[in-house]
Amino acid sequence: MLKVKNLTKKFGELIAVNDLSFEVKKGQVYGIAGPNGAGKSTVYNLITGNYSYEGKIEFDGHDITGLPPYRIAKRGIARTFQVPEIFPSLNVQETIRVGSRFGARGGLDLKHSDEIMNFVGLEEDRLQHTGLLNLLGKKKLMIGAALATKPKILMLDEPMAGSNASEIADLMVLIRNINQQLGVTIIIIEHFMKVLTELTETLLIIESGSMICCDKPEIVTNDPRVIESYLGDSYAEDK
Amino acid sequence: MSLKHMILILCGFYCVMGIMPLFFGDTDYIMNILIMILIWAVVASCWDVIMGFAGIFSFGQVAFYVIGAYSSAILSVSLDIPPVFSIMMAGVITGLFGVLVGLPCLRLAGPYVALVTFAVHMTLVPFLRGPLGRAIGSGGSQGILTIPPIKLFGLAFSSEQLVPFFYLTFSLTIICTLVLVLVIKSYWGTAFLALKDSENFAASLGISAFKYKLMVFALTSFITGLFGALYAHYVGMLSTKMLSMDVFTILMIMMVIGGIGKYPGVVVGAVITVTLSQLLAPLGMYRPLIMGAIVVVLVLFLRDGIISPIIGLLSSRRKVGLVEKSLKVSSKGK
Ligand SMILES: Nc1ncnc2c1ncn2[C@@H]1O[C@H](COP(=O)(O)OP(=O)(O)O)[C@@H](O)[C@H]1O
Ligand SMILES: [Mg+2]
Repeated sequence: MLKVKNLTKKFGELIAVNDLSFEVKKGQVYGIAGPNGAGKSTVYNLITGNYSYEGKIEFDGHDITGLPPYRIAKRGIARTFQVPEIFPSLNVQETIRVGSRFGARGGLDLKHSDEIMNFVGLEEDRLQHTGLLNLLGKKKLMIGAALATKPKILMLDEPMAGSNASEIADLMVLIRNINQQLGVTIIIIEHFMKVLTELTETLLIIESGSMICCDKPEIVTNDPRVIESYLGDSYAEDK
Repeated sequence: MSLKHMILILCGFYCVMGIMPLFFGDTDYIMNILIMILIWAVVASCWDVIMGFAGIFSFGQVAFYVIGAYSSAILSVSLDIPPVFSIMMAGVITGLFGVLVGLPCLRLAGPYVALVTFAVHMTLVPFLRGPLGRAIGSGGSQGILTIPPIKLFGLAFSSEQLVPFFYLTFSLTIICTLVLVLVIKSYWGTAFLALKDSENFAASLGISAFKYKLMVFALTSFITGLFGALYAHYVGMLSTKMLSMDVFTILMIMMVIGGIGKYPGVVVGAVITVTLSQLLAPLGMYRPLIMGAIVVVLVLFLRDGIISPIIGLLSSRRKVGLVEKSLKVSSKGK
């Protein structure tokens, strides 16, 4: 469904993404992990068209290389941000409707927007000003707005960051439901290995912009190169 | 602000304005103030839409106003185009100019947008006074002195007869205000707000910054140009004095008094500022001093402008009403 071929991005001297290729299949939950600064978020920013880059990206059989972000959103690629983004001027319901109005094929769909609001569990806060939501609320809202665009694929950037155990459990259920009930393909960048091993079918590890390995999570987490460069010896011992 | 409050305030304002000539129709001094209030209310509203709503720090508002004024003046004086059409054309020309200025601003961060747009303002004076300006009929440093009145349905509208001109301005004001309210409250307005709050998030949800930012430039400069043109035919003469800091400051004061992004606060700001500036005119050089002091005091004590306490009043009255209702209900229960 999403094919990334020989993706390279340089910020001046820094090579943030280095000749990276991978493919995400329809219906999958696809994980991406790696140390801080490995280039994970940059990969998202390239896929969503925020920067120019070398290489080619295909989505749903079409070349989407070089399209601007808003067009890519309309094609059916939705995303969340590592640091939650909100619209302080809008309330919860309005924010979700923005996704529907501008991002969904066929425009504003009030029924679908309300369903999504229930789906992410924000129906109680519908008229709440988004600046007043807590961190979990903001994340759910970001996911809700993204889902309101009726995406084919949803890319989550460290959704668990800053969450406690029960919130993580809560979000994991939500992510699984998005994948299974709504049939949305998911890419997830995450640091918590437990989350990745439980949720994902394929796991891509990158470091300094390059792929270290890419396979089933149980194989990846036992790969000596991954243990050495990312997970560390303590992880191996814990197991 | 809720649509209800917005409409309540605007209706109140324009109803009062609409009957003013009945009382002051014979007093030219007041009629002139009323007309200027109408004109500035719209120009300031446009500024609030682009700056307050869309979050684009455009400082070209006076420049657009002057471009509109000069365009219509030149078209009607040099090319003999009837003012009704030249005003329309001036709006379109200014709108196109707005898009042209907007284009380089799309990729710039706030402070740089302010610089670029103000640079347009700064270059207008030498342009209009210089040989290029004179070549297109700007009249150089002398300006244009013989701008014809607006002729419509066999009537002439100009500063000779203030009441008809007032109602002409009033009609155009109502139309443009309606357009602005519709835009603010439509999905366009939502797109402006979303882009202002977070351009990345907005784009990830399918909003084209390019489209909506250019749209806001086009719309606000079109309407501003229209009113600049109207002003030109009202006073009958133009000079580059319009580009002085004085005019710019007055517009800024309207915004500060009304509250940035608190539309229609800026309309109230226009009423207060235009009136004050006329009343203080005899004080000569002390006027800017007093106006400046007012701005400082307002920024310190009423940061959201004068509109917030007004809305507070409107809502508290409603709350009192609700309390009364609930009291009635509970007493019925007994
Ligand atoms: N817009 C940018 N300009 C310059 N450098 C950037 C930019 N975005 C990211 N980088 C750099 O690229 C590298 C990868 O960043 P990022 O993709 O955010 O890492 P990760 O998400 O894996 O932690 C970092 O060194 C970061 O400083
Ligand atoms: Mg990151």
